[in-house]
Amino acid sequence: MHGFATKTRFFLNETGSLSRFTARFFSVGVKPRYEVKELLAQCYIIGYKSLPLIALTAFIMGLVLTMQLRPSLVVYGVESKLPIMIGIAIVREIGPVITALIFAGKIASSIGAELGSMKVTEQIDAMEVSGTNPYKYLVATRVMAATLMLPVLTVLGDAICLFGAYIGVNMHTVTSYRLFIAQVFQDLTFGDFLPAFIKTFFFGFAVGAIGCYKGYYSSKGTRGVGNSANAAVVLASVMIFVIDLLAVQITDLLGLN
Amino acid sequence: MANETGNNTRLGIFVLAGLLALIMAFYMIGKNNNLFGSSFELHTRFPNLNGLIVGNNVLFAGIQGGTVKSIRLISDTSIEVTMTIDDKVRTFIHKNALAAIGTDGLMGNKVVNISAGKGASPLVDNGDMLGTQKMVSTDDMLQTLSTTNNNIAVISAELKATALRINQSAVWDVLNDRSIGKSLKTSLKNIAKATANASQISLAISNMVTRAGNGKGALGVLLADTVAGGDLKSAIAKIKTAGNNADQMTANLNALVLKIDKDLTGGKGSLNAMLKDSVIAQNLKKSMDNIQKGTDAFNQDMEALKHNFLFSGYFKKLEKEKAKQQNKKN
Repeated sequence: MHGFATKTRFFLNETGSLSRFTARFFSVGVKPRYEVKELLAQCYIIGYKSLPLIALTAFIMGLVLTMQLRPSLVVYGVESKLPIMIGIAIVREIGPVITALIFAGKIASSIGAELGSMKVTEQIDAMEVSGTNPYKYLVATRVMAATLMLPVLTVLGDAICLFGAYIGVNMHTVTSYRLFIAQVFQDLTFGDFLPAFIKTFFFGFAVGAIGCYKGYYSSKGTRGVGNSANAAVVLASVMIFVIDLLAVQITDLLGLN
Repeated sequence: MANETGNNTRLGIFVLAGLLALIMAFYMIGKNNNLFGSSFELHTRFPNLNGLIVGNNVLFAGIQGGTVKSIRLISDTSIEVTMTIDDKVRTFIHKNALAAIGTDGLMGNKVVNISAGKGASPLVDNGDMLGTQKMVSTDDMLQTLSTTNNNIAVISAELKATALRINQSAVWDVLNDRSIGKSLKTSLKNIAKATANASQISLAISNMVTRAGNGKGALGVLLADTVAGGDLKSAIAKIKTAGNNADQMTANLNALVLKIDKDLTGGKGSLNAMLKDSVIAQNLKKSMDNIQKGTDAFNQDMEALKHNFLFSGYFKKLEKEKAKQQNKKN
């Protein structure tokens, strides 16, 4: 019972600490002077360097999803609806969530490990002493880069995923790419696309913020760095699903579904 | 520094690619929703929308022509649907075009079908009200199907009864009897044979007719020889003349017979005397008797003469010659 109370207190403490850390982004991070150079560098590392991984997983996801969906559709005789179903599934849910999860796995851990090791080696403390705001320089740029890059990655991932789906469709029947794209977009509306696109900003923000938080407050020692990287990935992944749940409810309330 | 510039370039390409994909997606979706390009509005009123919602497609002659922009309840039996129509199809829609609510496929989304009306009519303007047309809805189809099902049930019951009756009837035995089939087969074979024979016969006749036509054979001669025809004609004419003569002769004969008859009945003429006068007959009889007696006497006289020596030589010579001739013959 004692353990439960401790754990609860720890959880609440963590939540409050993370909220305060996140709030600092809006109070400190968005104010000038902007670290543009560092932001671009982080965008390059977080966005561009994640593309091959995202592209590979998205392609496989599209291909596999198509091949898995096909038998059930054949049973009901609606095989021709395969592109529409794949299109809606990818654009609405699978594209953003899978991309965000892969992104969390790669970025949250790397940010957590990087900031954790900087914390452990007291570089962050040294920065503070030298007059540079470590939050502004290290955290704000990374969170901003993650927030901006994940939507781009998601859009590209969706496109690659649809290409994978096209190949999956063509494994059994012959469909021209134009027909496939026309069928995919036939029933897609902005109500499908925009909420999914907007939520990726929140996914990116969550991944960046949690990665930075876990690294920024890493405990001492090499074990602490590993732990913070691991915790960053787990928490970021869970947060993605929580945000997804919120997003679907908000879009439902707004009547966009 | 050079490395940083290179990284920034790659980042730029990456972000631009993402933006391009985003714009493409926006365009593709927007194109379906008529957000780009000029368009105009058309209205129509339906008593029931059957589940049509804002954003559903509007098809003109089966081609994507626009989308449903808004739906407004006018009264409990009238709902106004405002449609955004692509300007590209404007020049094809006339004022008498009819709108109907249909389904995309069997279970797909609802669509508004605009079809051309009959007869000439000016082109539509922005905000025009189109007439409506009732389309066959799935509910109607199911209702009809229900009636059809009932009918089928009745028909199948009737058919069942009929089939059972046929099963029990003599017709079925006849149908089941294999020997009938066999005999039918034989009959058919015979018929086939007969037909073959008939065909041969007709062929032969045909040959004959051909030959006759060509003037071969007796019939041919008859039919084709003009000389023989002429002869036949003259022969017939002669027969006719002979007939006429025969007629004349018969008439003469008749007259003669009549005359004789008259004479006979009237007791005139020598014949009548010969036939009817009994005295003459007796006389004649007597005369005949006398002649017989005379000839008998003459016979005796002649026999006597034979035996007379004066004439016996001659008779002996006659006999000898007779015998000689007989020997020659033998």
